[in-house]
Amino acid sequence: MNPKLQRVLFSLALLTWAGVLIYFYATGRIAKYLAPDFRPLVMAGGLGLAVVGFFNLLTATQEASCGHDHGPDDTHDHESLDVHPLAAFLILLVPLCVGVAWTKDAFSLGSLTRKGLMDTPADASSLILGAGMPQLTKELIEKQHPKNADGYHSFGLMELFFSAGDPEMRELVGGMQVETEGRVIKDPDAPVPTQRRLYRLFITCCAADSRAIPIIVRFKDEVPQVADNTWMKLTGTIRYPDEGEGFIPVLEVDHAAEAPPPPEESFMRSNF
Amino acid sequence: MRRGFDSLSPGTFPPDVSPDSRQDFAFAFLSILFEGAPFILLGTLISGFIDIYLPAGTMDRLLPRRKFPAILVAGLLGAILPVCECAVVPVIRRLVKKGLPVSCALTYMLAAPIVNPITALSTWKAFKGPEIPFGEGVSYSASLVMTASRLGLGFLVAVLVGVVVARIPMVKLLRQRLVDSIQKDDNPGHDHKDCGHDHHHHHEGCGHDHGHDHDHDHKGCGHDHGHHHHHGKDDNRLIAAFRSAMRDFVDVGVYFTIGIAITALFNTGIAPGAEWLDSLAKNNLVAPAALMALAFVLSLCSTSDAFIAATLDKFTYGAKLAFLVFGPMLDVKLLFLYQTVLKKRFILWLALGLFVFIGAVSIAWQAAIFSLANP
Repeated sequence: MNPKLQRVLFSLALLTWAGVLIYFYATGRIAKYLAPDFRPLVMAGGLGLAVVGFFNLLTATQEASCGHDHGPDDTHDHESLDVHPLAAFLILLVPLCVGVAWTKDAFSLGSLTRKGLMDTPADASSLILGAGMPQLTKELIEKQHPKNADGYHSFGLMELFFSAGDPEMRELVGGMQVETEGRVIKDPDAPVPTQRRLYRLFITCCAADSRAIPIIVRFKDEVPQVADNTWMKLTGTIRYPDEGEGFIPVLEVDHAAEAPPPPEESFMRSNF
Repeated sequence: MRRGFDSLSPGTFPPDVSPDSRQDFAFAFLSILFEGAPFILLGTLISGFIDIYLPAGTMDRLLPRRKFPAILVAGLLGAILPVCECAVVPVIRRLVKKGLPVSCALTYMLAAPIVNPITALSTWKAFKGPEIPFGEGVSYSASLVMTASRLGLGFLVAVLVGVVVARIPMVKLLRQRLVDSIQKDDNPGHDHKDCGHDHHHHHEGCGHDHGHDHDHDHKGCGHDHGHHHHHGKDDNRLIAAFRSAMRDFVDVGVYFTIGIAITALFNTGIAPGAEWLDSLAKNNLVAPAALMALAFVLSLCSTSDAFIAATLDKFTYGAKLAFLVFGPMLDVKLLFLYQTVLKKRFILWLALGLFVFIGAVSIAWQAAIFSLANP
């Protein structure tokens, strides 16, 4: 391929990558994809790609010397590739454009199921995940979980989930009246028709490494008629029964109300 | 629920992928791309500017003359001269031709993609968050454990290869053409009266060249001098550096894109065999081998592969360590690149040795962590 045409094509590819990175950052959609630490890097990377792309585009027709000799058998140059330039151009752009066109900034129910949504909450309280959570004490609970106007302690869903794996915490928190929020979804394995799952995503770096963290919720009377994945705020009594699979967190719901989605999903170091 | 290729309509082209699968693939693909792209840019900018601005003799001037210290230092050179695995092969090819011992060159080639600040930073970021327990009340961040283990094991493997290679005659390691080229330089049959400068010879130790910056022409010399030349086009070297950086970004970006596309298919359960791969994850002996095979096929850049390893959440940290150390040392694209320098027989032995040693250490590492966490 003509070197000038190759430079133009590659510059356009870099500018497209730059545009996508900057667009997702500027519109705030990046919050669905990455943990907070990584988001500024996306903007910086987008700007950097834009600079490199524009510079190479504007100088595509100029001659340039690398300033060192290559020796008699050293055939390397500074622009050749392992693959055909046109193939490289298409590989860089087609999956990216397809991804942007197809994404809905969320996983489907099938993928969430693979990521632990329908696993038993007793199994999912792994040591490594739990070790990342702050240690709970009674003092900490009283300090960090003040009662709301109706007398319910406000808990993050992940705290309720991980407390099921700790005997001391089960003793401490079991029977407490709590308020929490998450996304409600039908439970195909529910032993009672009024049972649902309440879950949030647990993300360490990016959405691809996320895990769905569910607790069991049981409504006393009617189940709210809401679509799957509706964000709800639930109040009730938390218990940790062993129903044959180990201790699982079960919220016996007193009251349920739809809630606005939070600005972003849960991350390891905040918002749990 | 029907997933991925199960939901393809038979006999249709293009395949009728279910909307859920499209959504999942796109979400996972973009999230890994957003995470890794800035690090690839950083790495390729540095390598692009090194490619153009760093005098060729810099690296071998940094090495001690004695063999073993030279190998050790060669294993650490990536810390100050970071080069990814794609860029390192042309570099060592040039250095070997200029008299750098093969042991030092191979040590640098295997270590530099891992033992460098960009790879360390990306590994740190990719594993940020979880804690790895090391016994009652003792835990360390996965960032620290994985970064230190990756760099430590990468350095160890590279130095061991260097030590072994130092005992093997060069003719059994290098391609004949390269050997001929070196021997021609060692026993010059041509007249150097027109050259008038020092030449690069193999020393007992590391054999670095002692070139100096000087201006001259190349009449009658016909070989590489390995020092800084001034051709009157220095004003355009910035353009050359940016072009080199763009070339590196495209080169790495191609493999990265293919890699994350495959990873996204496995991550979301769309790819055929995803469940089979998952079923291997909990087998302590097979899992590292499976991820080393995956790293070989994916051919990812060491500056961004940690982001993919971190998403393989069904696998143990030990298996991920094998992925992170083996991948930058041997993959499909490196197999072809190595053949520009090394004999095929040696590449085969190298591959086998790396696979067995890295796999064994990773299994032992995982067992040690597990026994500490569960005394």
